[in-house]
Amino acid sequence: MSSLPTLASDLSSPPLAKESSTRLVFQMALRDVSVLFRTPWIIITRGLAFVIQLFVFAYLISGLIHVPGLNFFQYYAVGSVVATIASISFVIGYDIFEEAEEGVLDYLLTLPISRRQFIIGRALGGALRAIIYIIPMFLVVAFIEGFAQPLSIISALLSLFLLAFGVTGMSITVAVSVKSANRFDVVLALLELAVSRGSTALYPIAFMPLYVSIFAPFSPVSFAADSARASLVGFSLDLPAIAGLVAFVVIFLGLGAAFYFRRLEGGIYS
Amino acid sequence: MSTRLIPLIIERDVRVLFSDAFLVAIMFANFAIDLFVTAATFGRLVTGQGANYFLFIAPGSNLITAMVAAFQSGRDVWREKYIKDLTSYLLTLPVQRPVLAFSRVLGGVVRSVIATFPGTLVICYLYGILFTSKVLVAYLTVGLFSLGIVGLSMAVSAFSSSIEMWVTIRSVIQLYLSFLSTLFYSVSVFPSILAPIVSSNPMTWAIQAFRQLSPISFAQVPAGDSLGSISILAGPSLAFALLGTICYIWYAKL
Repeated sequence: MSSLPTLASDLSSPPLAKESSTRLVFQMALRDVSVLFRTPWIIITRGLAFVIQLFVFAYLISGLIHVPGLNFFQYYAVGSVVATIASISFVIGYDIFEEAEEGVLDYLLTLPISRRQFIIGRALGGALRAIIYIIPMFLVVAFIEGFAQPLSIISALLSLFLLAFGVTGMSITVAVSVKSANRFDVVLALLELAVSRGSTALYPIAFMPLYVSIFAPFSPVSFAADSARASLVGFSLDLPAIAGLVAFVVIFLGLGAAFYFRRLEGGIYS
Repeated sequence: MSTRLIPLIIERDVRVLFSDAFLVAIMFANFAIDLFVTAATFGRLVTGQGANYFLFIAPGSNLITAMVAAFQSGRDVWREKYIKDLTSYLLTLPVQRPVLAFSRVLGGVVRSVIATFPGTLVICYLYGILFTSKVLVAYLTVGLFSLGIVGLSMAVSAFSSSIEMWVTIRSVIQLYLSFLSTLFYSVSVFPSILAPIVSSNPMTWAIQAFRQLSPISFAQVPAGDSLGSISILAGPSLAFALLGTICYIWYAKL
């Protein structure tokens, strides 16, 4: 009964008038932030992966790359932050899938919050927790590479936030579209691999094979990586990349919301 | 004789793998991205290694797929106990328990070899050994490497009470196998303190065995017979397989 659209609409009327919709959305988002930080396993693995990739892989392989004008360690350091935020943003999909499997979703739907606020809150929560999680790593890279311009750092973080927001939408879309747990696991892993590896986050486009370089500029991870590098290294704004990121956010947030809403309300939109 | 049932247990595990052929296809897609995107790009970036760097790291894509497939076996064992509650049923099978446990490990190896079957062929093609007897050595290497990883993944399943813990331990092992091995670089580039860790990594010996199959002589890869590297790989692989068998028996409270 709690999932009926009429009831959902009713829930957002008089009794909730005291609570502003922004506050409810934010409360929903904060719940997702605390869920991530109560899961130490995910924090440990993604953190360890970042440390090993940067201080073992990037450090060692940089010694093998002798391309004039390319500081590969610096290139990879910024890219690994971008790839990590994409990776952590995908985790919201696992949470949503598990909630549906374990019955927690039914509880969440009884909360006095409209469906629209619920969905926006989930997407915002996914992006917020990703950006909070990535900040220590970002600071490590900023310290190593000497990125100290506040405006450049804010601009780069904004690009990362946009990426996190869009990837959250993408992850929600997959979570509510795939039925089998095993399939969901591998599809999300493949998607994560495809958008990160087929992007300019980890290597420059000039060195990619032709068949990859055609698609790589359109990967959302490329948009974020190019925009972050332009801000941090070139002290400029990469407007096409930012526009690409905004488009990515709009498309996948819209798709994620539509699919999630459809799953919750059985295809009836209010 | 319960040993007669070993092929049946292995067959069951293979059927479980193919109950969703989509998963096998996705594993191949992962391999393709690793090889034709990541390895191909690093092949263009890294120069001065005395040989084609793409070919140097190419077998790594296949061994990473083998590792993923091998861990999938451990995950299935974990799901049998915690999600599907199948352990009691498996104990009713007319087979001695150590035999059942070792058959599960072997089933994982067969699954892994099947999942990497096309990938191994691709690597053999790239190495120009597709129509030689060295193909068999390539499959032997993948099988032996998988044996160790399946054993490890089953041991992890025995001690993980939650899927989060299982995934975390798996990720740590995967990081060790991928980045603290000679998959991307030779052992000489590591700081001396890490050299023993790299040298004892099964991935190091598996990838060396592959590279020694190639007619190209890679810098930093000792010239010699793959069988030498395979015999060294056999040590940790058999030890991990034994560990996995013992843990499976313990875990199923047999």
